[in-house]
Amino acid sequence: MVVLSAALWLRSRLTDRFWRVQEVLKHARHFRGRKNRCYKLAVRSVRRALVKSTKARREKKRFLRALWITRIEAASLEHGLKYPAFISNLLKSQVELNRKMIADLAIYEPKTFKSLAALAQRRRQEGFLAALGDGKEPEGIFSRIVHHY
Amino acid sequence: RYVRQLQRLQLLFSPTAGDARGARQFVEEAALDFARQHPDVVLYISPRFGAAPLLLAEYLNGTVREELIANKTSEEIVQLATKLAGQSGLDIIRIRKPFHTDNPSVQGQWHPLTNKPSALTVRGPRLQAQ
Repeated sequence: MVVLSAALWLRSRLTDRFWRVQEVLKHARHFRGRKNRCYKLAVRSVRRALVKSTKARREKKRFLRALWITRIEAASLEHGLKYPAFISNLLKSQVELNRKMIADLAIYEPKTFKSLAALAQRRRQEGFLAALGDGKEPEGIFSRIVHHY
Repeated sequence: RYVRQLQRLQLLFSPTAGDARGARQFVEEAALDFARQHPDVVLYISPRFGAAPLLLAEYLNGTVREELIANKTSEEIVQLATKLAGQSGLDIIRIRKPFHTDNPSVQGQWHPLTNKPSALTVRGPRLQAQ
């Protein structure tokens, strides 16, 4: 015959409570205070920690981008350019480097960054000449656009 | 050429315990085939009494991984052994960065004096004897 559930007089004891508790406490070992030892406090702290870590993945992208922008601003000010001028002129010269790479170049390849800053400066001057000079001067060299079709 | 990172596999089990039944079946049936398929891994089979059956994997960089094989069937042990044979001995933790270089800087890393005039750092030859 088919028995779907155990008989009513059959009792069972919980024997692996220790390991169930350890599964939670192992994620709380590096916390401060009693929440790294006491299960009741640790459950709340571990849940909050995991929730915060999921939400922080979206914030991390914003934070890193702000960090790169700060670094590029500092490096370009060393070469006499402000950040908006640097980035806009690089884009106009069709140099499509993202902020992460420019920040890494500024740290590890300072001479390359200096040449990028000089390029942006030159493109800026050509932009001013084109806007203010009114047609008599020849077009700037770095203002030419290359079409990749 | 590919060098297998797994050096040796030690199979420690008890000849009489009940939870080592899968290990004993593995030794009888599949151990020789496994050893022939992986000729560069040394397989040690040592019976010992009174302890849980273990599969010890030692790698070329020195890490030793112990896997419990109690109450596992012979096929599961074969799968586990092939998985260990394909691993390297690096720790299984979160990799912080997916890239690594030994030489991050070609032009010299930036320091606060890179873009300053060199009169600040360089002491030139003394022009007048002092």
